Amino acid sequence: MAYKATKNPTTDLRERLFLPELLRGLAITTRHFLRNLFNPRDTNVHVVDRKGPNLVSTVSYPEEKTPYPPGYRGLHRLVPRDDGKPRCVACYMCATICPAQCIYIEAGEYETTDPSSESRVIEKYPTQFVIDELRCIVCGLCVDACPKDAIRMDTGLHTPSEYNRSGFVWDIPKLLQGPAVSHASDPWNKRASSATPPHQHHEPHTRIGEGLVPLKLPTGEQQKRTEVTDQAIPVTRFLKD
Amino acid sequence: MSESDRKKPSGDAQPSPPGAPTVHPAAGTGPTPTNPPPSPTASGPRAGIEHQPPAAKPPIPPPTPGGKPTPKHPGFVTVTVDGKELVAKPGENMIDAVKKVGSDIPYYCYHHRLSIAANCRMCLVEVSNSPKLVPACQTPMAEGMVIHTNSPRVQEMQRAVMEFLLLNHPVDCAICDQAGECKLEDYYQRHDYRSSRLEGEKLMRAKRKVLGPTVVLDQERCVQCTRCVRFMAEVAREPQLGMFGRGSAEYIDTFPGKQLDSNYSGNTVDICPVGALLNRDFRFRARSWFLSAAPSVCTGCSRGCSTFVDFMGQDMYRYRPRENEQINKSWMCDQGRLSYKYVNQHRVAAVMLGRGEDRREATVPEALRSVAEQFKALAGTEGLAVLASPVASNEDLLATLSFARDALGVRSVFVSGRPGGAGDHYLMTPDKNPNRRGLEWIARGLDLALKPFSELAQAINSGKVKALYAIGGEVPVDPSLVAQGFARLEYLVLQASNESAITAQAQVLLPAAVHVEDEGTFTNLDGITQRFRRAYPPRADVKPHWAWAVALAREFGFPWAHASARDVFREWGPRVAELASFDWDGAAPPVKIARGLNPLPTAADGRPPGYREFGPPRDRGI
Amino acid sequence: MKALEVIIAIGVILGAIFGLSALAYALGGWIEAGFPFFGHRLVESGLPGWAWVSNMLILVLGFVMLIATFLTLAERKWSAMIQDRIGPNRATIDLPGLRGRPLGGVFHVATDALKMLTKEDFRPKVADALLFNLGPILAFAPVLALFAVVPVGPQVTVFGQRVGLQVANPDFGMLWVFAIASLAVYGTSLAGWASNNKFALLGGVRASSQMISYEVALGLGLVGVMMAFSSVRLPELIQGQTTHLWGGTVELPRLGAVNLGIPAWGLFLQPVGFIVFFAAAFAETKRAPFDVPEGESEIIGYFVEYSGMKFGLFMISEFAEVVILAAITTAIFLGGWNIGFGFDSTLTRALTQANLGWLLGAIYATVFWIKALLLCYLQLAIRWTFPRFRYDQIQSLGWKILLPIALANIFITGALILVDPSLRSLAVLGFVEIGFVLALTLRRPEPAGHEADDAHLPADAHGHAPPPLPGAAAASHH
Repeated sequence: MAYKATKNPTTDLRERLFLPELLRGLAITTRHFLRNLFNPRDTNVHVVDRKGPNLVSTVSYPEEKTPYPPGYRGLHRLVPRDDGKPRCVACYMCATICPAQCIYIEAGEYETTDPSSESRVIEKYPTQFVIDELRCIVCGLCVDACPKDAIRMDTGLHTPSEYNRSGFVWDIPKLLQGPAVSHASDPWNKRASSATPPHQHHEPHTRIGEGLVPLKLPTGEQQKRTEVTDQAIPVTRFLKD
Repeated sequence: MSESDRKKPSGDAQPSPPGAPTVHPAAGTGPTPTNPPPSPTASGPRAGIEHQPPAAKPPIPPPTPGGKPTPKHPGFVTVTVDGKELVAKPGENMIDAVKKVGSDIPYYCYHHRLSIAANCRMCLVEVSNSPKLVPACQTPMAEGMVIHTNSPRVQEMQRAVMEFLLLNHPVDCAICDQAGECKLEDYYQRHDYRSSRLEGEKLMRAKRKVLGPTVVLDQERCVQCTRCVRFMAEVAREPQLGMFGRGSAEYIDTFPGKQLDSNYSGNTVDICPVGALLNRDFRFRARSWFLSAAPSVCTGCSRGCSTFVDFMGQDMYRYRPRENEQINKSWMCDQGRLSYKYVNQHRVAAVMLGRGEDRREATVPEALRSVAEQFKALAGTEGLAVLASPVASNEDLLATLSFARDALGVRSVFVSGRPGGAGDHYLMTPDKNPNRRGLEWIARGLDLALKPFSELAQAINSGKVKALYAIGGEVPVDPSLVAQGFARLEYLVLQASNESAITAQAQVLLPAAVHVEDEGTFTNLDGITQRFRRAYPPRADVKPHWAWAVALAREFGFPWAHASARDVFREWGPRVAELASFDWDGAAPPVKIARGLNPLPTAADGRPPGYREFGPPRDRGI
Repeated sequence: MKALEVIIAIGVILGAIFGLSALAYALGGWIEAGFPFFGHRLVESGLPGWAWVSNMLILVLGFVMLIATFLTLAERKWSAMIQDRIGPNRATIDLPGLRGRPLGGVFHVATDALKMLTKEDFRPKVADALLFNLGPILAFAPVLALFAVVPVGPQVTVFGQRVGLQVANPDFGMLWVFAIASLAVYGTSLAGWASNNKFALLGGVRASSQMISYEVALGLGLVGVMMAFSSVRLPELIQGQTTHLWGGTVELPRLGAVNLGIPAWGLFLQPVGFIVFFAAAFAETKRAPFDVPEGESEIIGYFVEYSGMKFGLFMISEFAEVVILAAITTAIFLGGWNIGFGFDSTLTRALTQANLGWLLGAIYATVFWIKALLLCYLQLAIRWTFPRFRYDQIQSLGWKILLPIALANIFITGALILVDPSLRSLAVLGFVEIGFVLALTLRRPEPAGHEADDAHLPADAHGHAPPPLPGAAAASHH
């Protein structure tokens, strides 16, 4: 044998006889069985709040759905601009970072004479932006990598089921959804066309010494700081009782 | 080689290819010293080098009465760089020289083939004979000079210069094609790496201003290094760019009403250290980190410029010039840059049998059997002719012409090839075929006479030639006219890489590989033979010309078993007098292919998922 | 409301059993009486003794197969309730009135059967075709044959004929059970060998060795009962258990003489024999905790290469074994159809006088099946309560515990029967043993014990008490 069972000195006659323990075990399972058989199930989606003699803790999806926690990484969406086109500039950052290689992009260029004033000042846009939601591992790195806040996972949905694989390949029409987002730094908020602005004469200036941005510390320094904050939390808090 | 494979040759000196002559110092100046020579001071720890007492410096010989120190190594200049002794050739640039001892001076405006401008101020270093920091690109090295490239003073100055350059630089790396091979990005990470302190708006300038057929300019991204201006004036000798304005309003532009339409304008994109000048053909087609590079040769004309082939998957994206002192220095022409398109587009993909309505796809053995049946009957007669294209590589020609001579029994070969065109004052030649000289050599070596294409036309028209074995589908006259002539042939076997009017007339059409899909050599018009390497394997049934010739010869019963272009060259190369001494393996550019990231999604069947459901891939090469 | 639904469901089940039993009696009587039809008989002299045909159809194909089939669902549904889950509840039938009502998952029986029947019947290329196909047949057939000697209902008069719910009543009775039960292992070991798979072979070998080990205890466990009632025929064993140990006849108004004594059930006479027999028979069904031949976490089992209905046969034979084990245990140890406590005599008298023999038989058969179903539940609950034995534990349990106990039980029983042929001393010993075990079971453990009794759980923990923190446990010791 791989190991030798030690005789626990605390075992009494009941345990060594084995049969009473078997009966007690059966009594426990039968008690659960009868409680669950004769009593209606509490369907509260917050399982820890369930009351009543029925002990079933199942959340019977999809009739009952546990609410997703805040920050849940759901289905991707391409964030639209105010004029309804995607904010994406086809920089391929998401496709580069994606560990599952599930994002496919093809880039195009807006004309300088585009009727949309937002598009006119944007050079690059995705003609194809395809995510294979079957290959996606929902790591959220694409959202972190995006420099333009153009892809988010804030839909609160998960990938719906489909009857064939092609249904899981989401392209721009399916991905482009949700409220439009605009930032002050967006080019269409700064200029009207790609040409040199006609009369621009305000001194770009710095005030040396004021508002000096601290240098980014090497990683070792930052770690040291983090450790200090961690120590501020008393370890004994977790050892109560 | 490691970095410059992937990056544009934006002025970083690249090692010369093997075989390129190197400048040796004049004989008699003494033995070439080992570099760096063994020195006890060089073995000390690097830390605190700036506080090293002067005693730690290598002993400087006592000055000669003339005031100049005695050279430690006669005929060379000996300096100390970051505590290490450097023995440099007289007149060598400091930026290039310090790399030999592992120091790295950042720079934007310096380029080893252009004049010194010293206007970017990035290469400021601390030297012992100047109280102020001096630009390394402009400062000649003196005997005994002590150079610090990494002292706190230098570091602070580099940081300040970076901050200055980035003051008005738009951070649109997301849409900038230079991202990934941009010196501003690299040096920001290395020398600045902090947020901007600019309060207020950045200056705005013209974006995506089209300068000419090849180049588009983003004035916001420009750091005013003037490399492009100097290139157009000094190398291309077509001064079409200029520097306008002053102060923060300074900008690069063409002269009013003029275009940047030089045949060498593409080089300004290569040497631009930032994303200000971009190639309109390559723009937005791929991010640079996806691309892999393989050393190759441009096939646009008979100059045979050394190039890198940038590719992703089985698609070629661009040519970049590769350093070659003998042929193209660091440059190549715009015509050559655009000559890659045939590699991607309208390729012959499958073996085809039959002509007109009988045409169908066939298997390789089926096609080979058909060719053998037809040609065996005609072998050795006047009715069978062979047509060879000077676009094929030496190995292709060696194998196919040997097959023509030994199996088909011909004594003369007709020459096809691309039609001639314009040449220019610098690199581009009127002959657009990369290997005409090689074809001449090989025909001579194999005792085959070369006949011009016009004689073939007469022979076909007179009915003398009934069957033709054509290597390469390029013809020097209008292809539709040639196709009409070829329609009279009873039997045409064509090994072609691209679809054309002629391929429609072939009874047997064998898909041929192009040079990026196989290894080989080209001999340019000056008789310089260059090796090129394979970037990616050909698709499906596509094979190089030599492989088709070997397969046909085996069908004829010859015991040929050549498995590579190398085997072919070793077999027949020695028969050609001019190629006999060519070191095929030794002449190869370094084998390392810088692999790009491969983030493009591929499913288990090898296709990107976006394509799986949305139809076939778009036209290859986009 | 849920309790009402459950009670209605139990009523429906009992009603079905009652109806099927009544049908069996009626059919048996009808056959024996020569198919009487509006006063005419198709066969003039009747067909005495031919009721075994209808009994075989209804008992074996009806009762055993139906209960075994529904036990596949019960195993899943009951285990879910034991483990605080919901269990199968997704299959519904799209018909008016049934739409969207899973009815406790009862349609999963149909979907499972459909799945089994329509799955690819795969055979490994290297497997021996004949033996591979023979495996499931040999595993399944003996199990059904076992049921031939089990009497489900008493002999009653239907259509003027004496009819009982038993396929055959041979003299060798119990010996048939022993003989046929050992045959079932041929199917499993053959399946393991013919699959040409090392894991399957391991499973087959384990099954064989386990069968050999427990065959001995199985037989010896029943010797006591056989000695007590001096027979190996099951109806006579049941008849013997209906006798009363103590107590006498009481005259009750309107009911007449009622015997309120304690019946001589095998469980009271032979509690040790019951435990030994039940454990050994359980081991022979190859169900947890004795499921090392299957051992899905280690070797998957002798049927690893079987798919489709061939695998289904292995599975259904396991559940049929459960039913048959329950039926045999009921007949030998739980008094068969005996109700006891005075009901029997009253019922028999009343219904025999009213000439409702089929009704009497059907009631008794229902009682029999109620007992058998409770034993079925017991077996399923054991499977979902206890972890699997290790292989050496199985062997030592069989040879070193059950076998000596069974032997000792035989000698003690024999001595007591020799001393007191009225079986009363035997019953006293049995009650003492039962009382001893019950007293040990119900005794509260010492509070300083190392076990965490669930009586210590907080009242509001909903049965999901968090495990005690290590620090808390350590603190309680100090």
